[in-house]
Amino acid sequence: MTVDRPLGLVLLEMSLLVLLGPLVTGTIQKLKARLQCRQGAGVLQPYRDLAKLLGKGTVQADTASGFFRSVPVLVLAATVAAAALVPVLRAGPPAFPLGDAVMLLGLLALARFLTAVGALDAGGAFGGMGASREMTVAPLVEPALMLVVFSTAVVAGTTELGALAGQRGTSWFPAWRAADFLGLAAMLVLLPAETGRIPVDNPDTHLELTMLHEGMLLEHSGPGLACMVLASHTRQLVMLGLVSALFFPVGPVDGAGVPGLLVGAGAFAAKILLLATFLALVESSYAKLRFFRVPQYLGVGFVCALLALGLRIL
Amino acid sequence: MDVGSGPSLMAACYGAGALASLLARWSGRWALGVGHAAALAGAVAGLGVSLGVLLDDSGRALIQPLPALFPFARLSLAVDGLSAYFLLVVSLVAVAAAVYGPAYLRAHSPDAGAGRQAAQVLALNVFLGSMAFVCCAGDALTFLFCWEGMTLASWVLVVSDDRDGENARAGLLYMVMAHGGTALLLVAFLTLTERGGAFDFVALRAAAADLDGTTRTTLFFLAFGGFAAKAGVVPLHVWLPRAHPAAPSHVSALMSGVMLKVAIYGMLRFAFDLLAPPASALPSSWGWTVLFVGTASAVLGVLYALQQHDLKRLLAFHSVENVGIILIGLGLAMILWRREGAGALATVALTAALLHTVNHAAFKGLLFLGAGSVLCRTHVRNIEELGGLARRMPWTSGLFLLGAVAISGLPPLNGFVSEWLTFQVLLGGAGRFHGPAGLGIVVSAALLALTGGLAAACFAKAFGVTFLGRPRTPHAEHATEAPPSMIAGMVWLAAVCVALGVAPGYAMRLLDAPTAELLHGAGASAVVTARGPLVLSTALTPSGADATAISMTMVAALLLALTAPAWVLRRGWRRAPPRAAPTWTCGMTPTARFDYTATAFAKPLRLVFAALYRPRRAVTRETAGTPYVVRRIHYAGEVVDLAETHVYQRVERDVSALAQAIRARSTGRIHGYILFVLGALFVTLLLFGAGPR
Amino acid sequence: MSPETVHTIIDDLGALLLLTMIVIVAATQIYRAIYAVAAQSLLIAVAGAVLAASTGNVDLWVIAGVTLAVKALVLPWVLHRVVQRMNVRREVEPVIPVAATLALTVAVVVMSFQLSASLGSVGRAITGNALPVGIALTLLGVLVMATQKTALTQMVGLFASENGIFFTAMAVTQGMPLIIEIGVILDVILAALVMAIMVLRVRSTVDADIADLDELRG
Repeated sequence: MTVDRPLGLVLLEMSLLVLLGPLVTGTIQKLKARLQCRQGAGVLQPYRDLAKLLGKGTVQADTASGFFRSVPVLVLAATVAAAALVPVLRAGPPAFPLGDAVMLLGLLALARFLTAVGALDAGGAFGGMGASREMTVAPLVEPALMLVVFSTAVVAGTTELGALAGQRGTSWFPAWRAADFLGLAAMLVLLPAETGRIPVDNPDTHLELTMLHEGMLLEHSGPGLACMVLASHTRQLVMLGLVSALFFPVGPVDGAGVPGLLVGAGAFAAKILLLATFLALVESSYAKLRFFRVPQYLGVGFVCALLALGLRIL
Repeated sequence: MDVGSGPSLMAACYGAGALASLLARWSGRWALGVGHAAALAGAVAGLGVSLGVLLDDSGRALIQPLPALFPFARLSLAVDGLSAYFLLVVSLVAVAAAVYGPAYLRAHSPDAGAGRQAAQVLALNVFLGSMAFVCCAGDALTFLFCWEGMTLASWVLVVSDDRDGENARAGLLYMVMAHGGTALLLVAFLTLTERGGAFDFVALRAAAADLDGTTRTTLFFLAFGGFAAKAGVVPLHVWLPRAHPAAPSHVSALMSGVMLKVAIYGMLRFAFDLLAPPASALPSSWGWTVLFVGTASAVLGVLYALQQHDLKRLLAFHSVENVGIILIGLGLAMILWRREGAGALATVALTAALLHTVNHAAFKGLLFLGAGSVLCRTHVRNIEELGGLARRMPWTSGLFLLGAVAISGLPPLNGFVSEWLTFQVLLGGAGRFHGPAGLGIVVSAALLALTGGLAAACFAKAFGVTFLGRPRTPHAEHATEAPPSMIAGMVWLAAVCVALGVAPGYAMRLLDAPTAELLHGAGASAVVTARGPLVLSTALTPSGADATAISMTMVAALLLALTAPAWVLRRGWRRAPPRAAPTWTCGMTPTARFDYTATAFAKPLRLVFAALYRPRRAVTRETAGTPYVVRRIHYAGEVVDLAETHVYQRVERDVSALAQAIRARSTGRIHGYILFVLGALFVTLLLFGAGPR
Repeated sequence: MSPETVHTIIDDLGALLLLTMIVIVAATQIYRAIYAVAAQSLLIAVAGAVLAASTGNVDLWVIAGVTLAVKALVLPWVLHRVVQRMNVRREVEPVIPVAATLALTVAVVVMSFQLSASLGSVGRAITGNALPVGIALTLLGVLVMATQKTALTQMVGLFASENGIFFTAMAVTQGMPLIIEIGVILDVILAALVMAIMVLRVRSTVDADIADLDELRG
C-alpha cells in the first residue's frame, strides 16, 4: 500500500532539486575533466558562477521589449514548478494531485517555449539561431519521451510519477521486464538531447556553429542570466530525476520516518551519480553530431521507445 | 426570464442586425455600430439559452415548433444538451467578434463604401444566426437550410474585401468544396427521411434504428465526408487556408473558431445520435477512420502551418491541426463506446473532444483577433515585414502571447487541459487494445506529442518574428496600439482561455448534458471531476484504483507562488537598473537585417521534414559581366501542399481533359442540349420512378 | 533455476537483442555495427548458456561456447581487420534514408509479433517474446542486407539474421541437433571468409564496391 507524500515533503524535494542542480552540473564537469586527464574546476564551481552573476548589473539589448525582463523569472518559475512533480526521496503519489508526468513534460516545454521567445526578443542572429535549433530538436524529442513515459505507464494505467515509482517498489533491474530495458535505452538516448549535452548540443561552447541552448542565453546578463542558468541546472536534474523515478526504485514506499527518507536520499544520490557518470562518459567519448544528423540519432531513441511499448502491448 | 423565449429573442436580434444594414443608406458608421450591437445582443441571448439548457438538471430538451413554411414537413427547433453546448461555443466567440468588429472594419478599410459595409453587416448577422440555428435545428430541413445560409453568408464575407481577385478565387474554391460536402449531406439526410417519412430528427432516429450494417456505415461515411469537407479535415482542407484569411479578421475568428465546430457538431449528431445502433457499439471502422484522419490532420496541419509566413494563413492551418486533435478524441470515443471493459473511458474521450472544441474556439478566436489588430495597424500580413510590435502594441502582443501559449498546449492554459485528457485516453486505449490496434493508438499518441511540439515551435516563430526584435519595414515601425473596443474583444476570449485553463473543473458541469445524452451514461463531471471541481482525474484501469489526477488550479498557484522568489533572484544583489546597449552582433552595428526571419527560423524543420514538404528553391544570380562579380541574388523558396499537388491538381487535370473531350463532341446548338436534358430526365424516371408506390 | 526465472531472462535477452538490432540498423559507422553484432552474438551465447543450465542439455553448452568463440569474438575481429586493411570510408552508406529503415524496422517487428501469434506454436515456445523476437531478428538482418551498400555491412546483416535463427531455434525447440547448429556456424564462417576475401580482392583490383556491380550490366 502506497502512502501519500505530504506537502512538506514535496516542497523539500523541490528545494533539493533546485539547490542540488548546480552541484550535479559541477560533478559532471569534474568527471569529464578527469576523464580527459584534466584537473578541472571544483564541483562547487557552478555555485560560484551563479553568485558572481547575481552580483553583477544587467545590460539589456536596447531593442528588447518589456517582455524580455520577465523571461528569466517565468522560465525559472516553470522549471522549478516542474521540479515539484518529481518524487525524490519516497515513492507514492503526493497527497494532492501534483505529480503527473505529462504535466512535467508540459511545464518543461513551457520553459523552453519562453526561453526561445525571449531569445528572439533581442533581435540578434545568435538568439534566433539558438531558438530555431532548439525548437527543431524539441518536437522530435517530445514524442519519444512521451512514449517512454507511456511504456511504463501503460501497465500501471496512470501517469502519476509517484504511483509509477511506487509500482516499481524497491526492485532493482533483476526484476525488470523486457520492455524496461528498451525503455531505459530510449531514455538514455534522449537524455543528452534533453539536458543539452553532446552529441546533440555542447554546453561548453559559444561557437555559433555548435550552440543550441547557449545561443538563446547570449543576450541575458547578470541576475537574469543567473536565473536562466539555474533553470537549466534544475532542468537537468529534473530529467535525471524523471529517469530514476521511471526506471529505478525511489526510496522505501512506506518508510514514513526519518530513516526511510535517509535511505531514499542515499538511493537518489547513487542514482544521480550513476546517470551523471553516464553523461560524462558520453560527453567525453563522442563528438557532437552535425545538426542534421540529430533527427537520425533521436530516431533510434524513438524506435526503442516504440518497441518498448510494443513489447508491452503486442 | 424563461429560456423558452430565448430562441425567438436570438432570431429577433440577428434579424434586427441584418436589417440594420439598411442604415448604411444614410450612414455606414451607424450601420456597422447598430448591426454589431444587435449581433452582440443575439450572442448574449444565445449564451443565455445554452446556459439555461445546460444547467437545467431535468435534462429536458427545449423543443419549439416553427411556423409551417412547407406543407410536407413539420419544422422545429430542438435544443438538447449537445445543441446547447455548441450554441455556447458559437455565442462565446460571437460576443468577442461583435465587440471587436465595428472598430476593426473602420480601421482596416476606412475608405469602404456604404454598400460593402451593408453587405458585411447583413452577412455577419446571417452568418451568426445560421450557425446558431444549425445547432438548434430539430429537423433535417432546418438543418440544411441554416447550413446553406452559413455557407453563403461566410462566402459573402470572404469575397467582400476583394482587392486583387485573390479572395474571389479563394471564395470560388470554398464554394465548390462546401457544396460538394453539402451534396453528400443531402444524400445522407434524404436517404434517412425517405425511410422515416418525415424530416424531424425523431423520425430519422426511428428510421435509422432498423438499418442494416452496410447502409448504416455507408450513410455514416457520406455524412462524415460532408462534414469533414466543412471542418477542413485532411485531405479536404485545401479551401480552408485560402478562404479563412481572406475574410475580415473577426469573421476569420468565427470561421476558424466556430464554423468548423458546427461541422464537428454534425459528426457527433450523426455518429452518436441519429445513426448509432440502438444497443451495441459503433462499427469499428467508424472510430478508427476518424482517429486516423484526425491524426493525419493534426500532424500535416501543423507541419504546413510552420512554413507559412502569412500570419492569418498560418492560423488557418493551425485550425486544421486542432480539428485533427478534436477528431482524435472523437475517434477514441467512437472506438471505446459501449465496448467491453472500456468503462468510463469513452466519456473521458468525448469530454476531451468537446473541451478541445471550446478551447480551440477561444484561443483561435483570440489569435485571429490579435492578427487582425496587427493587420489593421500595419496593413501587412507577411510576418517577415513586421517585427518589433511588442513595444508599439503591448496589449495586442501580450494577448497574442497568451493565445500562443494556449494553442501550443502548454500549462497552465486551456490547450493543455484538453490535450492532457486526450493523452490519458490514448494511454487507456493503448492498455486495452493488444496487437497492431494498440500500437496504432500509441503511434497516434506519439504524433499528438509531435504536434504539440511543432505547434510550440510554430508559435515561437509567429510571435517572435511578428512582435519581437526590430521593425523590419516602415509599416511595422509606425504601428500604434489597436482601439480599446478591439482589445476588449480579445480580453474576453483571453479570459475564457485563462478560466478554462486554471479552473477547468467548473466547465465540466457544462459538459454533463452533452456527454450523458450522447453516451447514455454518467456525465463528464461525474467521471472527470470525481474528486471535486479543482481536480481532474481519469481512472484508466477498470478497477479505477490508480487514477491519474492533476489540478490545474494548483499548478497555476504554484507557478504564481514561484514567480515571487524568482523575481527577487532576478533583481540580483545590486538592484541596479538595467543598462541598455546594442545587441551583440560580432562588433557590427545591428540593423533589422540581423534579425532571424521566419523563413530562417523554420528552415531546420523544413529540412528535417523535407520528404513531406518537397521544398522547391530557385536561386538566380545577376552578375556584372563576369561570374565573379555578383550584383544581386534572387532567392525564391516554396513549400507545396502535398494534397494540393497530388490529389487536387490531378483531379483538376482529369476533369479538364474530360471536359475537353466532351467539348469536341458538343454541337453548340441549344436545342440539342434541351433534348439531352429531356432524355436524361426520362432515363432517371424510368430507373428510379418505378419504385414502390 | 526455476522456469519463471529462465522465462524472464530469455524475455529480457530478447529485448536487448532487439536493442542491438536497432543499433545495427541505425549505425552510421561500420565499427559501431560490428560491435553491435558482436554484442548480439554474446547475448545469444548467454541465452544458450541459460537454457543449457536450466535444461541440462550438454549440446547447448557446446553451442553457446562455439557461438561465443566464433560469432562474438573471431568473426567481428575478422571484420574489424578487413575494415582496417581496406582503409575504406567508415561511414555506412544506406540505400534508403535511415529514418525510412527505422520505420521499416518497427513494421517488421510488429509483423513478427502478429506472425508468431498466428503460428500457434507460441504456447510451446519457451517464452512469449522469444519466437517473435527471433523472427524479427532474422527478417531485420535481411533488411540490413537489403538496405546497405557495402559488402561489409551486408555481412553484419547476415550475422544478425543468423543470430535470429539461432535464437528462434533455441527458444522454440530447446536447441536443434548439435550437428546442424555446428553446420550452420561453419556455413557462416565460410560465407564470411568468402565475402571478406572477395571484398578485399575487388577493392584492391578495381577499387569498387558491390554497390557498383550494377554498372556491369551490358
